[in-house]
Amino acid sequence: MDNILTVDNLKLYYYTSKGVVKAVDDISFSLKKGETLGLVGESGCGKTTTGFALLKMPTPPGKIAGGKIVIDGIDMTPLRENEMRRNIRWEKISMVFQGAMNTLTPVYTIGKQMMETLQEHREMEREEARKRIEKYLNLVGLSGDMVKRYPHELSGGMKQRIAIATALFLEPKVIICDEPTTALDVIVQAQIINLLKDLKEKLDLSFIFITHDLATEAEVSDRIAVMYAGKIVEIGTNQQIYGEQGPCHPYTRNLLAATPRLHAKVSELSFIPGAPPDLLEPPSGCRFHPRCALAMDKCREEEPPLIEIEEEHMVACWRCEKR
Amino acid sequence: MTVSDFRRSASEFWREFRKVRSGVFGLIFLAIFICILIFEPLIVPYPEANEKWRDITYWQDLPSSAPPSWINLFTSKKRAVSESIEEYAFSETLAGAMRIQEYVFEYDYSASVAPSDVVFHASGVGKPTVVISIQRPDGLSIDLYRKQLEMSPTQDARVSIDRSAQTAAMNFGKKYSPSEGVQLQTIKTTDVLFSEAKQGIFRSPSPLVGIYKLKVTLLLQKAEEKIEDAFVTVAGRVHGILGTDNSKRDIWSGVIAGVKWAMLIGLLTALVSVSIGVVYGVISAYVGGWKDSLMQRIFEIFISVPMLPVLIVMSAVFKPNIWVMIGIMCIFYWVGPVKTVRSMGLQIKEETYIEASRALGASNTRIIFKHMVPLLIPYAFASMALNVPGAIVVEATISLLGLGDATIVTWGQILQAANSGGAMLSGMWWWVVPPGMAIAFMGMTFAFVGFAMDKILNPKLKTR
Amino acid sequence: MTEKIIEVKDLQKWFPIRRSISQFFKGEHNYVKAVDGISFSINRGEIFGLVGESGCGKTTTGKLIMKLLEPTEGTMFLNGEDVTHIEKDELKRYRRNVQMIFQDPYASMNPRFKIRDVMEEPLIIHKLGEDRDARMKMIEKALMEVKLNPPDEFLVRYPHMLSGGQRQRAATARTLLLNPELLVADEPVSMIDLSTRAEILHMMKEVQRDLGLTYLYITHDLSTARYFTDRIAVMYLGKIIEIGDPDDVIDNPVHPYTRALIAAVCEPVAGKVNKPKVVPIKGEIPSAANIPKGCRFHPRCPYAKEECWEKEEPQLQEIEDGHFHACRRWKEVVEEAGRG
Repeated sequence: MDNILTVDNLKLYYYTSKGVVKAVDDISFSLKKGETLGLVGESGCGKTTTGFALLKMPTPPGKIAGGKIVIDGIDMTPLRENEMRRNIRWEKISMVFQGAMNTLTPVYTIGKQMMETLQEHREMEREEARKRIEKYLNLVGLSGDMVKRYPHELSGGMKQRIAIATALFLEPKVIICDEPTTALDVIVQAQIINLLKDLKEKLDLSFIFITHDLATEAEVSDRIAVMYAGKIVEIGTNQQIYGEQGPCHPYTRNLLAATPRLHAKVSELSFIPGAPPDLLEPPSGCRFHPRCALAMDKCREEEPPLIEIEEEHMVACWRCEKR
Repeated sequence: MTVSDFRRSASEFWREFRKVRSGVFGLIFLAIFICILIFEPLIVPYPEANEKWRDITYWQDLPSSAPPSWINLFTSKKRAVSESIEEYAFSETLAGAMRIQEYVFEYDYSASVAPSDVVFHASGVGKPTVVISIQRPDGLSIDLYRKQLEMSPTQDARVSIDRSAQTAAMNFGKKYSPSEGVQLQTIKTTDVLFSEAKQGIFRSPSPLVGIYKLKVTLLLQKAEEKIEDAFVTVAGRVHGILGTDNSKRDIWSGVIAGVKWAMLIGLLTALVSVSIGVVYGVISAYVGGWKDSLMQRIFEIFISVPMLPVLIVMSAVFKPNIWVMIGIMCIFYWVGPVKTVRSMGLQIKEETYIEASRALGASNTRIIFKHMVPLLIPYAFASMALNVPGAIVVEATISLLGLGDATIVTWGQILQAANSGGAMLSGMWWWVVPPGMAIAFMGMTFAFVGFAMDKILNPKLKTR
Repeated sequence: MTEKIIEVKDLQKWFPIRRSISQFFKGEHNYVKAVDGISFSINRGEIFGLVGESGCGKTTTGKLIMKLLEPTEGTMFLNGEDVTHIEKDELKRYRRNVQMIFQDPYASMNPRFKIRDVMEEPLIIHKLGEDRDARMKMIEKALMEVKLNPPDEFLVRYPHMLSGGQRQRAATARTLLLNPELLVADEPVSMIDLSTRAEILHMMKEVQRDLGLTYLYITHDLSTARYFTDRIAVMYLGKIIEIGDPDDVIDNPVHPYTRALIAAVCEPVAGKVNKPKVVPIKGEIPSAANIPKGCRFHPRCPYAKEECWEKEEPQLQEIEDGHFHACRRWKEVVEEAGRG
C-alpha cells in the first residue's frame, strides 16, 4: 500500500515567555491509503498539537520548528500560507476539531453555515453547493432537510455528523478527527464510530484518529501511535497493541492496564503513579523514566530511539527487545 | 487573600490600567484633587471660607467684583493689587494725661488704577480719637478722617477711607479742578487720592505713582486705653487667583473649599448607593422565583421615578441639608448597578462551587457574601466611579436653584450666587467659569477612572 | 440483615417549562420529567452505582438525594427517618450525614479561595473545631486520608495549581471533614486523565473501607461502575429499568436498553477494527418533556411489540435474587438475543 501522508522529524515548539515548550518533538510516522492511524496519549502529550501541525496551522505562540510533511506526493514544507489554504487544507487534508459540534452558531441554520464554509474554500454556484451539501448530509446519515434546522434543534450526535460532513466537503484524502466521540454518550459514540468506518470504506479515506481512550482506538484504528510528552513512544498494528502479546513500551502497557474493561472481572485497576512531566523542563533520557517501574540507569541518561522490534512495530524503550 | 496576592493582583491591574490613556489622565486629576483636599489650608488665603461664606464682615476688606490679579499681565493699564501693610513707624508723645500715638504706614502705589479701598484696622480697648491723613508723593497732605473710635475686646476698630473720606477727597479735588461739577455721591475717594492734582482729577484722573504715607494719629485719654495690632489693608482693583464676587468673597477660596464637598457628595453617594445596589442585585439573582420578580418590580418603580423633581420638592419643604440630600440621592442612585449585577449574579449562581457550598450546608448569607459579592467588587468599583459625577452635578443643580445647604459652600452655590448676582450680564466671567470648570473636571476625573476600570474589569467589555 | 441507610420511594422531579398561550388558558402544564418515579435503597457500607446516558436523570437523582433540589413527589428516608421535606436546622444536620463530590473538581472550588479556605468552609459552616489551629489539624488529617502528602504544601495553593486528580482528592477530603455516612459521587473521575483515574477510584474505595462510608456513585461509564460498585441501577429517561449485582447486570443483561448500552461500550481488545459495531437500538433518546406512552423505551427497542406501547408502563420485577428489570417481553428478549 502507498503512503498518502508521511511525516519526518516533525517539531512544533511553543515559544512562551517562560521558555520553549517542545510540544511535538521530532516525531515521524506515515499513513497508508485507506488506513486509520490512532494517535493516543494523555492530555498535554501533544496529540492535538500534532493534528494542527499537519495542517500547518499551529496555535500561537507555537511554530513549526522543523520536519517534513508530504501529503499525496506534495511536500508541504515549502508551501506558503495562501498556497496551503488554496491547495492543501480541506482539499487534501481536513480536520474535525475537538468540540466542533459546539462551534455551530446558534442564530443561523445548518444550511447557511455549511454553505459559508463551502464557499470560503471554493467558488461554486449556489444550486450546485446546495446539492453538494445535501449529498454529504446523506452520506453521514442525515436527511437533506437538515439544512433548514437550527443547531439547538439537533442532538450532539447529529451535530457531530454535521461537523464530519463539513470536513468531507472538498473530498480530502486525509481526515484528522480530534476526540470526535469524547463528549458523546456511549450509544451515540458507537454510531459515530460506525459512521467513520463506513465512510472510510465508501470514500477510500484515510483517517488520523486522535483520542485519549485506548478502548476507542481498539475499535477504529488499524495502527496505533502512542504519544508521551511530545514523543511517539510506540507504533504498532491493532493486533500488535491489543493482541495476546500486547505492547512493549511500559507506558503503553500501563495505560492499557489502566483502561477499564467491561467484560473482565478485575478486583484492582492499575494506574500510573505521578503526573506527566512539565514540557518546559522534560526529564533527561527517556521522558517516561520518573514514572516507570522498570527504569534503569541508562533510561535516565540516554534517550531511547524508536526502533523496529518486529515488522511495523516500533518502540522507543531500552527495555524492549526484538521479537 | 494575603498581602502578596493582593500586591500581585494590584500590580496586574495597574499594568492593564496604564494602557488606558484616559484612565491615567483621570488618575492624575484625581491625585491633584486629593492633594488639594489635603493641603487646602495651605493653598487658600481665607481658610475659613467654608464656615464664613455667608458672613459679610469676614469678607469686608476685600474689593467687590474684582477680577483675578493675573489679568494685569494682559493689560497695559495695571490695576492696584490687594495687599496688607503691617509695618509702620510708631511714635508716642505725652501731652499731659493724654498719650498721642502716631502710626505711619507706607504704601507704594505703582499701578494705573487706584485701589478700591484702604482700610485701617486696630484692636484694643477704649475710646481714642483717631485722626487719619495721607501724605502723597507730590508732597501734598490731606486730612481724611477724624472721629472717636469705640474699641473693646470683642469689637475691633475699622476705618474705611473710601467710605469715610469722601468729603475730604471732594474738597481736595475741587481745589485743583474747580471747573468740574461733581456730586459727592459719585466720587470714588481712592481715585481722587491716588491721582495727580490737576485739572480733570474727577473725570479723567491720571495716576500719581510713588510712596504714600498714611498717618494715623490716636489720642488716648485714659491710662487703661491701649491699641494693639494696627495694620492697613489695601483692597485692590484686582484680587487673588480668581477674583472676588459682588459680595467681596474670594472665589478661589470658595472653589477650593468646594472640592471636599464635591468629593464627599460624589463618593459617599456612590459608595452607599452602589453597595445597596450590588447587594440588592445579588440577592435578587440568588433567591430567584417570585421573590426575584417582586424585587425587580420594586426596582422598576424606583428607576421610573425622576429624581430631580423629588429632590427639589424635598429641599423646598425641609431645611436644605447636605446629608438629607445625599440620603435622597442614595435612594435613587442605588438602582444603577442592579440590572447588571443581577445578570452577573445569575451567572455566578450557576457555578458548581456555589452548589458545592450549598451542599456543604452554607447559609444563603454566606453564599451571597462569601462567594458571590467578592466577584462583583471590581464591577462595583467601576460603577462607583461612574456614579460620582452624576451626584456632583445633581447637587450643583439643586444649589443652582437656590435650594442648597446654607451652611457650606459648594460649586453649585457659587454658580447660583453668580446667576442671581448678574455675573454674566456684567461680564464677571471669573465668577462663573471656575466653579463650572471644577464641576466639569471632577466629573471628568471620575468618569475617566470609571471608564478605564470598567474596560479592564467588566468581562463583557473585555476584548481579549 | 443489612441496614438501609437511604431509601427513596416513587421519587419524582418535574421541571416546569414554558407553555403556549392556549395551554395557559386551558390550564395545561408542560414538564421536563427529569426523574419520573424511582424507588431504591442503599445499604450501609455499600457502593451503589447509578448508570445512564446524559439526560437520563441520574444527576438530578443525585441532587435530590443531596437535597439540592426539592422532589416533586415521593418520599425519602435517611436511617428510617422521613427527610423528604426538611428545612433549616434539620437540613443542616442532614448535610453532615450526606455529602457530595462533584464532577468537575475545579469548578467545585471557588477559584479565589486557597485550598486551606476551601477546606475550612465546611468546618466554619458547621462550627466544628474550636479555633483555627484545631481546624487546621482536622484539615491536615483529612488531607492525609486522601493521600495528599504533605498537607502543608497543598494548603497554601489555589485550586488551579493542583492537577485534576489532586483537586478531586481535596474535594473528597473536604466532604470527609463532616464525617458523612453517605457520599454522593457525581462522575468523580470523568474529567480526570485515564492514567490517574484508577488511582482516584482506588483512593475512594480505601476511604470507604477505612471510614465505613456508603457511596452513591453516579456515572455514564459501565466499565468503572463494574469495577467500583456493589450494585448498579441503569436509568433511562427518568426511570430505573434494571437493577442488580454489577456482574449479573453486565454479563446477563435483561432489559434491551441495558443490552444496547453494553454493546456500545468500546473495549481495548484486538480484532474489532474491520467489523461495524452492532448496537441493537434505534434512533435517538427522546426529550424528557415528551415521554413515550407505555414502556418508555419502546420506540427505540428492536424487540418491541404492540403490548409494549398499548399496555401500561412495566414495573420492576425480580428475575433472580436481587436482579430486577422492567421489561414486559423479557423472556422473548433473552431468547432472541441468545439466538442472535
